[in-house]
Amino acid sequence: MIPVPIALKASLTAICGPDGVIVDPDRLLVYESDALTAYRHRPGAVVLPRTTDELRHSVREIARAGLPIVPRGAGTGLSGGAVALGGAIVVGTARMNRILVIDAPNRRAVLQPGVINAELSAAAAAHGLYYAPDPSSQTACTIGGNVAENSGGPHCLKYGVTSRYVTGLTIVLADGSVVELGGLGREAPGYDLVGLFVGSEGCFGIAAEIEVSLLPVPEGVRTLLAIFDRIEDAGAAVSDIVSAGLLPAAMEIIDGPTIRAVEDSVFAAGYPTDAEAALVIEFDGLEAGLDAEAERGAELCRRAGAREVRSAHDEAERMALWKGRKKAFGAMGRIAPDLLVQDATVPRTTLPTILKGISEIARRYDLVVANVFHAGDGNLHPNILFDRRDHDELERVERASKEIMQICVDSGGTITGEHGVGLDKKHHMPLIYGPAELDAMWGLRRVFDPAGAMNPGKVLPDGTEPGGKAGGRGEAEAGVAGDGDLPRGLAGAKAAGAGVVGMKGLSGMDASPA
Amino acid sequence: MKTAAGAVSVIGEVLRGEQVLEGDAARAWVAGCGRARRPSGMREGDGGVVGRADGWGPSSGEWTAGVWPEAILFPESVDEVQGIVRAAIEAGVHLFPAGCGGWPGAGGWGREAGAIVSTERMDRVVHYEPADLTLTAGAGLGMRALDELAGRNGQWLPMDGPGCGDGTLGAAVACGVSGPLQGRYGGVRDNVLGLEVVTGDGRILRVGGRVVKNVAGYDMVRLFTGSRGSLGVITRVSVRLFPRPEADVTLCFRRGAAEVVEMARAVCTASFPVAAVEIAGGGRESAAPGAGDGEMVLAVRLLGGAEEVGAARARTVGSVGADPDEVLVAGDSAAHHEGRTRWEDGSPVVARLAVLPDRLGEVMACAERVAGVVRGEVAADAMRGLVRVKGSCAPGREREVAECLQRARAEMVGWNGSLVLSAAPREVVAGVGWGGEGGGGAGLTDRIKALFDPHSVLASRCP
Repeated sequence: MIPVPIALKASLTAICGPDGVIVDPDRLLVYESDALTAYRHRPGAVVLPRTTDELRHSVREIARAGLPIVPRGAGTGLSGGAVALGGAIVVGTARMNRILVIDAPNRRAVLQPGVINAELSAAAAAHGLYYAPDPSSQTACTIGGNVAENSGGPHCLKYGVTSRYVTGLTIVLADGSVVELGGLGREAPGYDLVGLFVGSEGCFGIAAEIEVSLLPVPEGVRTLLAIFDRIEDAGAAVSDIVSAGLLPAAMEIIDGPTIRAVEDSVFAAGYPTDAEAALVIEFDGLEAGLDAEAERGAELCRRAGAREVRSAHDEAERMALWKGRKKAFGAMGRIAPDLLVQDATVPRTTLPTILKGISEIARRYDLVVANVFHAGDGNLHPNILFDRRDHDELERVERASKEIMQICVDSGGTITGEHGVGLDKKHHMPLIYGPAELDAMWGLRRVFDPAGAMNPGKVLPDGTEPGGKAGGRGEAEAGVAGDGDLPRGLAGAKAAGAGVVGMKGLSGMDASPA
Repeated sequence: MKTAAGAVSVIGEVLRGEQVLEGDAARAWVAGCGRARRPSGMREGDGGVVGRADGWGPSSGEWTAGVWPEAILFPESVDEVQGIVRAAIEAGVHLFPAGCGGWPGAGGWGREAGAIVSTERMDRVVHYEPADLTLTAGAGLGMRALDELAGRNGQWLPMDGPGCGDGTLGAAVACGVSGPLQGRYGGVRDNVLGLEVVTGDGRILRVGGRVVKNVAGYDMVRLFTGSRGSLGVITRVSVRLFPRPEADVTLCFRRGAAEVVEMARAVCTASFPVAAVEIAGGGRESAAPGAGDGEMVLAVRLLGGAEEVGAARARTVGSVGADPDEVLVAGDSAAHHEGRTRWEDGSPVVARLAVLPDRLGEVMACAERVAGVVRGEVAADAMRGLVRVKGSCAPGREREVAECLQRARAEMVGWNGSLVLSAAPREVVAGVGWGGEGGGGAGLTDRIKALFDPHSVLASRCP
């Protein structure tokens, strides 16, 4: 760990106040990982600005000191994206948590990056509006983090992901300069720099102010729960519903192992424990026509083999149907001490094949894989349960994980649908991108951050930067140009003696991570 | 970069003879594009347009005032496009990416000598799985062909930006201009899943994919979408399709300007979903059939299930406090809105005024003043706060028009909005600029251009 220069500590304290700078090693432990606890690196310091001015001055001082910067929201990410490699300084946005404007007539809001996702919708509700992207960690995660990761959520099947709703940004670049991009009410000819920034995982800069568009709260909602004896049938039902021209707001599958974990836990939702899949379907919109849509959806489930279709008659019943889905990750702690949360997207029509393939891989490696996922988007979360103290099992988990990722990519899918690449999946990037695409991404990174100071060692695989150089000050000082001290995948986690996903951390979030 | 003598021939060596048009044949191809889309009554050379920032609706007048392309190239594969770009770098020739030539200004045509690269022969549907609601095709696939194919499965691609109906998929994506359906279905950028691009330095990039959720790596799909051919030639596109709505109804209300704006805002701020809220018919001429003197038409489009649309219709009537003067149903509704995508076609002056939607009335008034000077018309997308003015500029009036636009732009900027020209005579552009240049991201934009097109082979400007 690189000690923070005294002068830098003093200047950051002058900017953000003594309560806005953390250097105490014990307090820094909180910031050594995000929700993917396989990767742990203690930062050199944490700075917590409250305003755009404090943010840009802080970044400028860190740049002057020649240290790398790691942006951080609430730390709920699942890709190791907020891990501070090589003693980097974490710039946390937790105190930049003000909603600056809710402009109901124009259905937009302007906010600081540290605003919690669910709090924005709560504030907008007074105007009959809400913010559509709803990652399952929405009660904890920040909009700034959502922007960095281009977060999705169960309802993005109908409403789309974060990038559709971000209309303008004020960003702070690695040298402390401030740039305004886009803005609702302005046509911004030229490149879509807002769209490019969203999902850049903190490698391009830090969003200091975010303008988003809001939607009117749907008038009506109908929620169904279909129970299947075969998970492949549940996958087929999803395809049938889409083929029939229905567009539900959400379609989520919970598989048998997950159902049983939930029902054995304090989160029991009343799902039948002998079922192999439960499919939660939600329709929303004007009240008129909703019942007919829901009935068509139910009928298609029955035709696909559902043995039972339940429907919610009020909000309490709706919450009950969702409960098994929402609490799935927390409940898995009962089955095994560790959980590898995977994230991949496949074409919807391949879901039955892929699910069968995952079962086969799990069987072959003698592992328990629990699937909880956004079926309507083809966004899978095959979660491997294991005990990190069992080194043999850990090796099998790593091999199974790679095979699962490979079959998803082979089906025409991708390595991450919503969790991001971060540290965890950067070594998978060559599965979907060749050298030309990776070169281009390196180039874009250098457009925004010529010195390589922003979130070094993330997203792009080590050793792929054009010219084979160590990169900017970030990569060089973080020691991540090569393998460095970076644990890679589970083998690294094992080597570092780290867990993969801390179940306590997840259950404490009151929301599943996916 | 200067065009070397015979350099275009060097590029042409990458292709077979029948894949290259030169000289009069090249001019005929370009002029043919213009004739097909010029509105009736427009004279050759009207307005002396030199290029269109947004890139649709050419007239051959554009070419009499600009620089003719030296050749039209029709590659049939991504490798041929790559060969063309590499040869162009070697020979020092500008390239202007295009689809079927319907939106020439999109690639900066007529500003510099060079060759047009048309992807119209790369029109194969590579992958279409209706149950996935995704389609992958060559960039040259016509939007009409795509619509027909998707329609057979009860699906559609709701891209309705100006010029979209007659163009190619690649051009629609390269232009990246969304229409009124953006609020309901997302804009062009939201529905492009993946791209294959040959960049200005001759690299083939395959970015994104064909799945609907994908956050692997930086979002280059969004970068190339709307980059107007200034970073690369788009050769293949994957898009997200939608179920075609069961019911399509447009409610038309004819009123004076102030009343129409008030009604539009009432609909836009109501809690029920509408697909599009458009106003037409302002200015010197009426663009709205059936509208009387001084009247404008508010067109509220409702899409969805029959029951849902029926309810939304009743809610619309309740919001505006009046029954519609006309109701367009199914094909008539769709045709009305498709016609709106051609509204700007061939106009020598087109300006886009954008503000937050609650200032619609003020912007309409500002646009009416501009329309008075360019002797044209006004149309608005009320949900987005976007007002368009189209008109003409007679020789000798360029300064007057430029000054008028400058004043209007100042008003818009004062409201934190913008005024961007899509088309204008060169003298007007010289006076007022296209708009949208500079801005906070300018340095980033220049560096991105240099990253993908270091030799400045491609269209030199992304307006």
